[in-house]
Amino acid sequence: MTIPHPLRVGALVLASTFFYTYVGQMVPQKEVLPPQETVIAANLTTADMVMVGQEVMNGKGLCFTCHTLGKTEGPFRFPDLSGVDVRAMTRVPGLSDVDYFAQSLYEPEKFIVPGFNPGMPVINKPPIGLTDQEILCVIAYLQSLGGTPTVTLQTSHQYYTPPGAAPGAPGAAPAPAAGSAPGVAPGGAPTAAPAPTAPAAPAKGTR
Amino acid sequence: MTNGVMNGAINRKMLFILGPLTVLVMFGAVVWMASQLMSREYRDPYRVPSATVDATPRTEGLAAERADAETKAKATPYAEVEYRTFPIVGSRVAIWAVAELHLLFAAFVLAVPIFAIIIEVIGYKTGDQRYDRLAYEFTKLLSTSFSLTATFGACLTFMLIILYPKFTNYLMSVFSPTFLPYVLLFFFEAFFLYTYYYGWGKFHPLVHIGLGLGLNLVGTAIMMIANAWVTFMTSPAGISDQGAVLSVRDAIYNYTWMPINIHRFIANIAFGGSVAGAYAAFKFLQAETDEERAHYDWMGYIGNFVAISAFLPLPFAGYYLAKEIYAFSQTLGLTMMGGAFSWLFIVQAVLIGNLFLAANYYLWLGMGRVEGAQPLQKFIKYLLVGITLCFAVWATPRSIIATVSELRAMGGGTHPILGYFGVMSAKNTAVNMLILTTFMSFLLYRRTGKVAAVAWAKKGHAAQLTIFAAAAFIVIFLGVYGYFVEATVRIALSVPQVSSVLFAMVAITAIDVFLFRGAKKTGEVRWGRMPVVSQYVLIFIAVTFTWLMGLMGYIRSGLRQHWHVYGVIRDTSVDAFTPTIGFATQVVSVTVLLFFGLIGFVFWITSLHDKPDFVAETDREPKARRHGSELSPKFALEAPGEHGRTS
Repeated sequence: MTIPHPLRVGALVLASTFFYTYVGQMVPQKEVLPPQETVIAANLTTADMVMVGQEVMNGKGLCFTCHTLGKTEGPFRFPDLSGVDVRAMTRVPGLSDVDYFAQSLYEPEKFIVPGFNPGMPVINKPPIGLTDQEILCVIAYLQSLGGTPTVTLQTSHQYYTPPGAAPGAPGAAPAPAAGSAPGVAPGGAPTAAPAPTAPAAPAKGTR
Repeated sequence: MTNGVMNGAINRKMLFILGPLTVLVMFGAVVWMASQLMSREYRDPYRVPSATVDATPRTEGLAAERADAETKAKATPYAEVEYRTFPIVGSRVAIWAVAELHLLFAAFVLAVPIFAIIIEVIGYKTGDQRYDRLAYEFTKLLSTSFSLTATFGACLTFMLIILYPKFTNYLMSVFSPTFLPYVLLFFFEAFFLYTYYYGWGKFHPLVHIGLGLGLNLVGTAIMMIANAWVTFMTSPAGISDQGAVLSVRDAIYNYTWMPINIHRFIANIAFGGSVAGAYAAFKFLQAETDEERAHYDWMGYIGNFVAISAFLPLPFAGYYLAKEIYAFSQTLGLTMMGGAFSWLFIVQAVLIGNLFLAANYYLWLGMGRVEGAQPLQKFIKYLLVGITLCFAVWATPRSIIATVSELRAMGGGTHPILGYFGVMSAKNTAVNMLILTTFMSFLLYRRTGKVAAVAWAKKGHAAQLTIFAAAAFIVIFLGVYGYFVEATVRIALSVPQVSSVLFAMVAITAIDVFLFRGAKKTGEVRWGRMPVVSQYVLIFIAVTFTWLMGLMGYIRSGLRQHWHVYGVIRDTSVDAFTPTIGFATQVVSVTVLLFFGLIGFVFWITSLHDKPDFVAETDREPKARRHGSELSPKFALEAPGEHGRTS
């Protein structure tokens, strides 16, 4: 029996389509959910902020879409963030690590790390759109990468002055003993905090 | 015996007693049930006389309630609905499928006039009527497709208004100045299309070509306006941080507008050529005479030639688009190439690899229809090896899906050897070499059945070979060099790679044209002498192109993830998440099958043109004739048909 050509054509169209659908099932399957808003309680300690900052960088901030952490060799599209706090302290003369991080997040085009192209988005504006508090948490986490986190939710920098603090009078509140509640997650559950405890000294970024 | 009688009497007595008893119990049950039911009916509550000053009877109470509800309903303020839900599949999938169908038909309707007019001009310049008839044959596919495009366009607009009213309202407010020109252009498109189609052979050839030119210009303008809306969603410009319109011109001329214009223009031609080739293949398979087979073989060859010619520069347009996406937002670029969407490019590699393989295979089969092709056919095996290797490299992912033990053995998600083929340096090299190899197949096909007769033939061949080798060397050298330099340098290397391939294609073609001017023929092209499998290859190419269009459309649109307008209007619907690649490919497949169902309908409608007219049994003899031609099917190669020009 000879199969009519229109049927063969139909079978070919179906088979080709099924084949490509099958190929589509063979690659990793992942649903990407919209980023969740992080609730930042007003009484977060520095250690808590480090954890929140890490969460923000992994999620809403999309930081690790471009940056790497712990990559030692090979091509780098954007700077690896291992030990970034050490470099941040001296990267731009006159800027503390907190100020440098703040500048990199609020005005990323102002200083480009030599050897890299500009490409960092303004983080406090859409599509990333982190809040000032979330950015402080991110700074806390970045400080923990090679340094000691010092920022608190009361820390001022050139782009943000917390409510209650006088403009231009940053450092309105010295960093409390951030290690007072080490390893306590925002929700209050004890966890293994990766960040070292912060000293009771005033925050480095305060001016 | 006595005991038995006694027992029977007792049983009867028992029955006498139990019968009325049961009736009584049942009566009691009925009364109880009735009283229960009655007790549930509304009754005015008992109130002591002193408390019944405002005793509202039930009927009046209900009326008052209704009146109150009505008053409240009348006082309800207008509130804009943000989203509505489409049943069963949801709003996103419904919009996705309709938009994709609209785009596929629109691509076809925009593409066919482009190569139809080129073929028509060739026919006019050479005076060869076959070209004119071929152009008309392509144009015949337009009429029904145009109606389907408009239908799906209207459907898409209504669905957007119904399902995404707030977002659609915003988009309309930004682009309101473009709508009237769009509608006017659409009117002109209809005017040009139908005049071009129905006016075939009715005007002076130059007037008709002018109509075709108008059709193409208007069609391209329509596409560019629609592209402005779409690209604005991905790379918005001309608006404030809060989305207020600052400049409509900037909103139109956003980062990805021109790259998409160019990419779609070329891709439409490739896609349209492939679908037209599929039509020819379908007709070839149903052909009953050698004459028909010859015509549709030629038509299929032209369709495939158009598709592959447009396909070769398409990756370069893709580079330009990707570059502009990165220029607009590195995050968006990295999401596309290194994030959630990166695996889609492996699927894309499979599709494009298949396209290259199928296109080359068709060309190699085509060599068989030319007498004296054997000397050139021996090169095919080398080309096949080259294409297969490039295909394999392109489809190699950077990170491998593996079990835990395999990951441990590899020392990570990247294979110690294969991982090197998964990076851009290798992939850029592979795709450029694929293009060069396919171009070489074209060249070989061009030379079958003829030998260059010019005095400088030997030098010409040597020059072509040198250019080809130099381009291949540059592509491979820069590909390897890319492993040893920083990202900033490596990205820039793709430019000389692409440039050298483009230069080679242009230069070799230019030499070829002069080299084979007045060439000596060593064999005739025997149109129609193609194995049946070649026609299935054409259909496979059309399916693959369509699927590729669907996939790339998804990447372009899905790239925004949870944004309607990237960074400006956030998607807060239940569909704000990015689905799995598997789900996306299923939607693409269903859309492709729907498209082929509908394009089959277009083919059928178009074929009716060649069917004999219906005549009643009584007057069959005198009226029996074909609608399209007085003599024979209008594709008769020698005699001009009804629609062919005699000038």
